Amino acid sequence: MAADNPIDPIHQFEISKIAEMQIAGIDISFTNSSLFMVFAIAATMTLFILGLTKRSIIPNRMQMLSELSYNFIANMLRDQVGDQGRAYFPFIFSLFMFIFFCNFIGLIPYTFTVTSHLIVTFAFAGLIFLAVTIIGFIKNGLGYLRIFYPSGIPIFLAPLIVPIEIISYLSKPISLSVRLCANMLAGHSILKIFAGFIVMLGFLGFAPLIFLVVLYALETLIAALQAYIFTILTCIYLNDALHPDH
Amino acid sequence: MKFFLKIFIFVFPLSEAYAEGQKSAGLPQMDISTFPSQLFWLIITFTALYLFMWKFVIPRLSTTIEERKDKISNDINDAENLNSEASKILENYDDKMNSASLESNEIVSSSKAAMNAYLDKLKKDNEIKINAMITESERKIHQQKQQSEQEIKKATIDTIKSIVSKYVETVPSDDEISKKLN
Repeated sequence: MAADNPIDPIHQFEISKIAEMQIAGIDISFTNSSLFMVFAIAATMTLFILGLTKRSIIPNRMQMLSELSYNFIANMLRDQVGDQGRAYFPFIFSLFMFIFFCNFIGLIPYTFTVTSHLIVTFAFAGLIFLAVTIIGFIKNGLGYLRIFYPSGIPIFLAPLIVPIEIISYLSKPISLSVRLCANMLAGHSILKIFAGFIVMLGFLGFAPLIFLVVLYALETLIAALQAYIFTILTCIYLNDALHPDH
Repeated sequence: MKFFLKIFIFVFPLSEAYAEGQKSAGLPQMDISTFPSQLFWLIITFTALYLFMWKFVIPRLSTTIEERKDKISNDINDAENLNSEASKILENYDDKMNSASLESNEIVSSSKAAMNAYLDKLKKDNEIKINAMITESERKIHQQKQQSEQEIKKATIDTIKSIVSKYVETVPSDDEISKKLN
């Protein structure tokens, strides 16, 4: 059995129940995934509570950190969407902080990476897709359908372009969710495999150890980068919904 | 108690107790039975985070950042005001310096002129005095010269008379002698 193998790279993604719960016959047990979701929001809340209890004009370190993250997301939203995006800022900001902390907590050995599960990332991507589509139709009416037919394209190309645009629009939530999930899944599996090599090779294990250190740095980068990519793509989709002409 | 024990187990999943966990074939990501639980807890945690961000973090952060912006722009305004005030004062100072130097130049030139005039007057006065003294002394010298010439003449005549009287009986008169002398 693979589960008996101490270096089974998939083992870390297994979901185990901590407290059993059921509502109307549906299993909604509190699992390790739920625990690390709680950890992620607790980490975010701790950061902001520490940063915001003693607010001052000249910020201390924690306040600086929370203001940096605020300005980072606010600037991203302003650059991508403009002033109309202000209403969606709380969601974008929460989204970034949640994914960012899930990714980073998952890097700690023996932890669980919430974002390595497709259902979680797909829940976000699906929600964003639905919301963006609804916002697009509310703001532009049927004019929102123009995004499937970019201006400046000759009419005889329409039968070719429109289906491509529709497919690319519908595949947005899939690409968005799979990108994040696959990055987390692959990265953590490789880390586990190389960590296993260190144990297997004994004294010669220093070679995979060096590689593991480099890989870990890369994974740290990817954890931040994927949170950033997920957030900026959300902003771009939102911009498409608010300004379908561009 | 059992709950906390399980948390402990999941934070350290390599412990043997972990073997109690569920096992399923294939990727755990594809185990549909875990989806409702993940979605349920995702909704709960993310909603909590969203509300926290919306109601607590963002208002506070934006007011702090606004306050700082206001403070900075106020300070910049104050600094600009003070700067213009300082340049005004500097201008005033320069003006005053200029007028003072003009005034002092005037004073210097007027006092120079006064001094020159005084010196000229003094010179003239002295020249007049000196000239008067020179003419006076010239006159005196002239007078003395004439006097001494006459005396010399008289003495000469007297000498000639006395010498002549020793050799001749008839003593010539003074006029004759003076005629001869000349």
